[in-house]
Amino acid sequence: MNEIMNKQSSSAATLRDNADVAEALGRTYSAGFITKIEMTGLPPGLDESTVRAISAIKHEPEWMTEWRLDAYRHWLTMPKPDWAKLNIDPIDYQAISYYAAPKVAPKSLDEVDPALLETYEKLGIPLHERAALAGVAVDAVFDSVSVGTTFRKQLAEAGVLFCSMSEAIREYPDIVRKYLGSVVPTGDNFFAALNSAVFSDGSFVFIPKGVRCPMELSTYFRINAQNTGQFERTLIVAEEGAHVSYLEGCTAPKRDENQLHAAVVELVALEKAQIKYSTVQNWYPGDENGVGGIYNFVTKRGDCRGDDSKISWTQVETGSAITWKYPSVVLRGDRSVGEFYSVALTHHFQQADTGTKMIHLGKYTKSKIVSKGISAGRSSNSYRGLVKMEKGAEGARNYTQCDSLLIGKKCGAHTFPYMEVKNPTAIVEHEATTSKISDDQMFYCRARGIPEEDAVSMIVDGFCKQVFRELPMEFAVEAKKLLEVSLEGAVG
Amino acid sequence: MNQPASLPLVASLLDAPLPASGLGWLDAARRENRAAFAAGGLPDTRVEAWKYTALRGLAQRSFGSGDAAAQTRAVDASTLALPGVAGVRLVFVNGAFRADLSSLDELPAGLSLQPLSQALLGDAEPLRFALSRHYRDVGDAFAQINAASASDGVVLRVAAHTKIELPVQLVFVGAEAELAWHARNVIELGAGAELCLVEQHASSGQPTQLATLVSDIDVREGAQLHHVVLQDAGIGANLFRRNSLRLHARAQATLHVLELGGALVRHDLRAELIGDDAQLHTRGVFMPHGRQHIDTQLAIRHQALNTTSTSHWRGVANDRARGVFRGAIVVAPGADGSDANLSNKNLLLSPSAEIDTKPELEIYADEVQAAHGATVGQLDERSLFYLRSRGIPLAEARALLTAAFCRAVLDDLPNKALREHLSGLLIAQLPA
Repeated sequence: MNEIMNKQSSSAATLRDNADVAEALGRTYSAGFITKIEMTGLPPGLDESTVRAISAIKHEPEWMTEWRLDAYRHWLTMPKPDWAKLNIDPIDYQAISYYAAPKVAPKSLDEVDPALLETYEKLGIPLHERAALAGVAVDAVFDSVSVGTTFRKQLAEAGVLFCSMSEAIREYPDIVRKYLGSVVPTGDNFFAALNSAVFSDGSFVFIPKGVRCPMELSTYFRINAQNTGQFERTLIVAEEGAHVSYLEGCTAPKRDENQLHAAVVELVALEKAQIKYSTVQNWYPGDENGVGGIYNFVTKRGDCRGDDSKISWTQVETGSAITWKYPSVVLRGDRSVGEFYSVALTHHFQQADTGTKMIHLGKYTKSKIVSKGISAGRSSNSYRGLVKMEKGAEGARNYTQCDSLLIGKKCGAHTFPYMEVKNPTAIVEHEATTSKISDDQMFYCRARGIPEEDAVSMIVDGFCKQVFRELPMEFAVEAKKLLEVSLEGAVG
Repeated sequence: MNQPASLPLVASLLDAPLPASGLGWLDAARRENRAAFAAGGLPDTRVEAWKYTALRGLAQRSFGSGDAAAQTRAVDASTLALPGVAGVRLVFVNGAFRADLSSLDELPAGLSLQPLSQALLGDAEPLRFALSRHYRDVGDAFAQINAASASDGVVLRVAAHTKIELPVQLVFVGAEAELAWHARNVIELGAGAELCLVEQHASSGQPTQLATLVSDIDVREGAQLHHVVLQDAGIGANLFRRNSLRLHARAQATLHVLELGGALVRHDLRAELIGDDAQLHTRGVFMPHGRQHIDTQLAIRHQALNTTSTSHWRGVANDRARGVFRGAIVVAPGADGSDANLSNKNLLLSPSAEIDTKPELEIYADEVQAAHGATVGQLDERSLFYLRSRGIPLAEARALLTAAFCRAVLDDLPNKALREHLSGLLIAQLPA
């Protein structure tokens, strides 16, 4: 018994020891490899001709080129935002190549370069099998051009449009023109403006009136090619009464330079429509010395335009050196609902400043925010959120819960919630806690013969349960594994 | 951006000659701070700490500085009396010490108390640390102009291991004239000392004024401070208060704040728990109505081992008023064993009122318990139903529950007579 107690206390001491925790967290990045495919792309640099060139490569109509140029000109006038709790070395926007694509443009999945498919295999997404088995349609973005789109036919039968953004601009210009930039205007913020100017590709989903999308839609983004920022643009429109669940997952190969990533995602939900958007983000976070890693600046916003509509964001963020991301919902329609469920894990020198905005405009609108932050190593993890009840938000309701878990002494966990209430019938509630894994919890598990590492993993899993529950099943499994891998050897 | 000095307010404040002290270091500090104010001007709403408090309207006004007639302004002495507070009293009218209204005759042993204007004539060296400070942060405008222009205020010291039985009352009165005044307090409690300090803000007449008050409060090892603030200034008062509180090892400070009056009121509390086992407990209620704007900013820094802070603040906004609250808690690296708790609950009583609240946590240590909560909403429907089912009319039930909501922050105020008086003021401020 004594021996067990001794072991217990000594390992507890180890848990508190920075050096050991830091070392223990030195997990390897399993998705770190580079696919050798010949790339064509634009040389580094950004000016109007770059924007025109991207537009020309993609055979875009005149209005689209102008739209991009407007965004570019606006971007030039904008200062880089510095309000987030992030330490970022200045980014040289002229040193980045804004377009890269596989040399041979594939027409169908069968024509896809085997090396590319192999990449997906390594990532554990065998396109055909996975799609068939899981009933998931995958629109995989390999750098900047859609490689292949599966299940298009089945979706088409249901009337669902699911394709790459460049294709949508050519095939469905009216829809794109109507909705693109209507949720995130081109001049919304610095990174959204940059994205609007140079976005390369992304996904387009249109669910017509009354249609329930027959399967969960999924995109795997994968950043490849050195020095290529990837700027995807996603637009999802759900018409009256339509339902869709969309999954986004990311991994990127290991590299030493920081890669810039500035995505924009726009969701539009009309009357009684529901959109569920789930993300697992596992990009290269940099090594244990903070070298390399993805810079991830994302603008995600949903617009509950119709009454009784619902938009739900779920995210599991374990990757990227820098995460700057605030998936938001504008609750315009009466009785519309917005949700945000998030798990953000940072370690080593990772920095995350993430959260959400819920803008209540309509009557009896509801929003719920559940955010779980886990920081380890020397990382910094911030929740930044805004709940705004405008004058017309009669009877609106918000509930927010933010919890932070600290592992190690050199990390930081921060909470910056903003609440602005202008309607006396609205109710806003916010709660936040910060703590470490308690010695009592560890002792309880250890006393029952559970090894330390499993105990930490169990406790973290329990801490995140509320969010994982919201993920589609395949993602929930992946997310849980991701956290386990991330915390591998965190103790003992 | 405009040149700061082109704003009427900034220009008018810079217009006032600096008070001469005859002390080289103090004159230098005044010049430095004035230069900083001249260069930086007023913060706009892009400065995070001023996001919800716009100074645009105020910036267009101009105020003459200081009051030559301060010694002769009529102040009704009966308004200064507070139940449960009898004994030593210092009164400042438009920022200047008024001996005729004060009572300093029977200072208890161990208490040294004098107006700053007098303290500077004697040995000013102990004040040097506090008064030679340069305020450089963006958003420090009012501290800068205060440091440049304040020539009076309170210098209070309690000797080590001395318990001052009766509360010490500090009264700041804004009287009649439309002008700007500045006051500076330097307060220190020696090791093991105990003091109850009652700070009162009032107006005589309803003058439109700009007032700044900067207080430095040091609570030494094991000392205990009870600080009660009753801010009941007139409806024309623009009052900017900044309290810097330093708590040494085992020191305890309890703060009760009532924010009732004023037009534009800002209270910055910056507390640093720099000694192990220090404790800070803040309680407060802000009740803006009419077109009032009341902004409370807490910044509590845990910098030592096993420190504790609890903060419970309530807000009630009515009419076209706006209540702003920020409660930031920072747990510095190495401040293990910190226990921080903050709650801010608000009631919004009118469709044109607004509440903006922002609790913040910044945690850099892991052996920590930190939690905050904030709500904005209405009275609990079930409680209302309960009272109505027992025959209490709706309006009265509302009044009762609202009063109870506000009074909660006074529950642990030990001075019973004062507590009752303050709750009476709270209830009087509620809509009938």
